[in-house]
Amino acid sequence: MKTKKANKKPLIIKVDKKLDKYLSKDLFKEKVEKANEVLRTVGLPKLSK
Amino acid sequence: MKIDKYPVTIGETSMVFEFVSEGIRGKISKLVIYSKTHLHNFYNLGFGNKDNNTGNIDDEVITNNGDSEKVLATVASTLYIFMEKFPDAMVFVIGSTKARTRLYRIGITNNLEEIQKDFDVFGLYNNNWHLFKKQTEYEAFLVMKKKSNFVV
Repeated sequence: MKTKKANKKPLIIKVDKKLDKYLSKDLFKEKVEKANEVLRTVGLPKLSK
Repeated sequence: MKIDKYPVTIGETSMVFEFVSEGIRGKISKLVIYSKTHLHNFYNLGFGNKDNNTGNIDDEVITNNGDSEKVLATVASTLYIFMEKFPDAMVFVIGSTKARTRLYRIGITNNLEEIQKDFDVFGLYNNNWHLFKKQTEYEAFLVMKKKSNFVV
C-alpha cells in the first residue's frame, strides 16, 4: 500500500529553499482573487455532519 | 496517476514546485505554486512557464510541447506532497482561460477513478459546488483529501 502511494508522488530531485521566494511575489494574483471571490459568494461544499 | 510524471524540485515550504517539460519544443521550466487565500487552509493552485532569464511566470502561454498529459499529471501529483504537509488543505483550481479550465477538466476526467481514491473533487457550476462528474462543464475545481461526508 505504501509503495502504491509513493508511485503517485513525483520523484523529488532536491529541496531548494530559493523556490519559496515565489510565494512573496504575488503571482497568479487574478486566480487568487477569483478564489477569494468564490469563497465570498459561494463558500465551501457542505459537510453532512 | 498512471501517466508518467516529471521529477520535481520542491521548496522547503512544500508550496512551490519546479519541473522541466521536455518535448518537441525543447526544455521548458514549469512552476507550480500553492498560494494562500483569505481563508485558512484554502489555497489556489497556479502553474505556468518560468522564464529562466527573468524568473517571471506566464500562465497564459500555450506551450504545445507535446507533453500536456505528462505536465498535468506532474502538476496533479504535487498535490500528494502538498497535502502531506497540509492535510486539511482545500485547493482551488481554475484555468487562466475557459479553454485551459476545460483542459483541466479533461485531465481530471481521464484520471478520475485514480484521483477519487485519494481526493474529493468538486466542480463549480451555477454558483454551487458539485461533486465532480464526467461530461459536465465547470468554472473551477476544488480538491481536498478524501473525507466522503459531503452532501452536494
